[in-house]
Amino acid sequence: MPRAPLDRRGADGDVIEIDGISKVFQLRGKSVPALEPLTHAVPEGRFVAVVGPSGCGKSTLLRLIAGLETPTSGTIRLGAGPVKRPVGFVFQDAVLLPWKSVEANIRFPLDTAGVERARADAVVRELVALVGLRGFEQTLPRQLSGGMRQRAAIARALADDPPILLMDEPFSAVDLLTRETLNDELLRIWQRTGKTVMLVTHSVEEAAYLADEVMVMSARPGRLERTYAIGLPRPRSEETKLDRAYHELVAALRRDLRGGEAAR
Amino acid sequence: MIRVRPVLEYGAAFAVLVTAWWYASGPMGMPPYLLPSPQATVLALVREASTGSLAGHLAFTLRSIALGLALGAVAGVALAYVLYRVPLLSTLLDGPLVVLQSAPKIALAPLFVVWFGLGLEAKLALVFSLVFFPVLIGALAGLRAIDPRLHDIAALLRLGAIRRFAAIDLPAALPGIFVGLKVGGVQALVGAILAEWISGDRGLGFLMTFAAATYRAPLLFGAVLLTALLGVALHVALGLAERRLLAWNDADER
Repeated sequence: MPRAPLDRRGADGDVIEIDGISKVFQLRGKSVPALEPLTHAVPEGRFVAVVGPSGCGKSTLLRLIAGLETPTSGTIRLGAGPVKRPVGFVFQDAVLLPWKSVEANIRFPLDTAGVERARADAVVRELVALVGLRGFEQTLPRQLSGGMRQRAAIARALADDPPILLMDEPFSAVDLLTRETLNDELLRIWQRTGKTVMLVTHSVEEAAYLADEVMVMSARPGRLERTYAIGLPRPRSEETKLDRAYHELVAALRRDLRGGEAAR
Repeated sequence: MIRVRPVLEYGAAFAVLVTAWWYASGPMGMPPYLLPSPQATVLALVREASTGSLAGHLAFTLRSIALGLALGAVAGVALAYVLYRVPLLSTLLDGPLVVLQSAPKIALAPLFVVWFGLGLEAKLALVFSLVFFPVLIGALAGLRAIDPRLHDIAALLRLGAIRRFAAIDLPAALPGIFVGLKVGGVQALVGAILAEWISGDRGLGFLMTFAAATYRAPLLFGAVLLTALLGVALHVALGLAERRLLAWNDADER
């Protein structure tokens, strides 16, 4: 896949165009800046990871893109064409509707979009298989493990086929082994569906392993510090983690995060 | 799906109670005008039933309970939702609502008779006022405990107000609503009987005052017994509805 230059303004083929977006929260009459003006563009099909310390505004950035927060300044354009709902969102812990079965949770976006029954059935079946939850269709969320709940949440986010998938620390609540499995599944799903993915994570290893591009953010004030293009070959696997380039990248990212104020 | 164990337990407790009653009224020799025997009580009920009047009384009481419960629940949930969605209103109404809620509604019963007359309306008003507040409080607690991220989901899916209420807010608040309903259910029975004591010529409460005034202890006991059974039935019905609707929330289930 040819790589576009980083840190650029929007162009054709971009599905996320962030233009000078910032966010200031009002807490008890005090202004708390969460995100300094940030400009960035993500072309279709790219896997972007966002790393940074707590309070760097990375979750705020994701929520702004999703339209869950209103920006204090700047604009965001989403989607290459007219799409009904441009983003699917995966939260840190699954946030499934606890009274609905796995299947009904995945179906929920289709129901609200008024998709006809037969087609919805087919989509749900396909997604259940894609995230590996066959046999658990009628299970309630609380009867599932954290990893399985997160699989269901990913399937729900993909249900009405949004071109963009936003993930806010999706695997930070599951154990390490499950996390690695889910990382590989996410890569497989991404390659199958061709979605544009933006994933916020605390883990620099996860960012380097998964992404085409890593955005490094710094805290107080939250701002984009720099971006890395990740040239590691795909498909990625355990082999990738033995790659010298992978380790150099992880070290560089860690240095950036530790330094806080990385030199440009 | 009724489990066998609780039925057995209820049955055993009931049997012990009836036996003790029978012993006190028979072998122990309590005078029948103080404590009629179980047989006499049942006979009085059967006699009353055979004239067709018992069914009428029972139906009347049931109707005021069911209607009052339904109206009180709907109104309670509705106001709770308005207060939940309009925080300003909730600040304004919090004080007055606490006053109304802690006012003894039972004491207002005579006033309801003055306002609404001797018929169903006065009974409904009392039952309504007794159900409304627990449901309001329960629903409000349930609504305020909703995971805000469920509303993120609603926003992402661009749900309108009505769909959000039906698909997210109502089911999420249902455990709280049921807490209120169960309190309200007990209160509804008390309210209906009490309202019938005070006025009117129908209902189990009326039957009690009528039997007492005409010195028919067996009939009085029969009416009390029926009322108790009605309470149990109400409790069981609400429990079954809860188990059906809130299976997802059952923390004990493995």
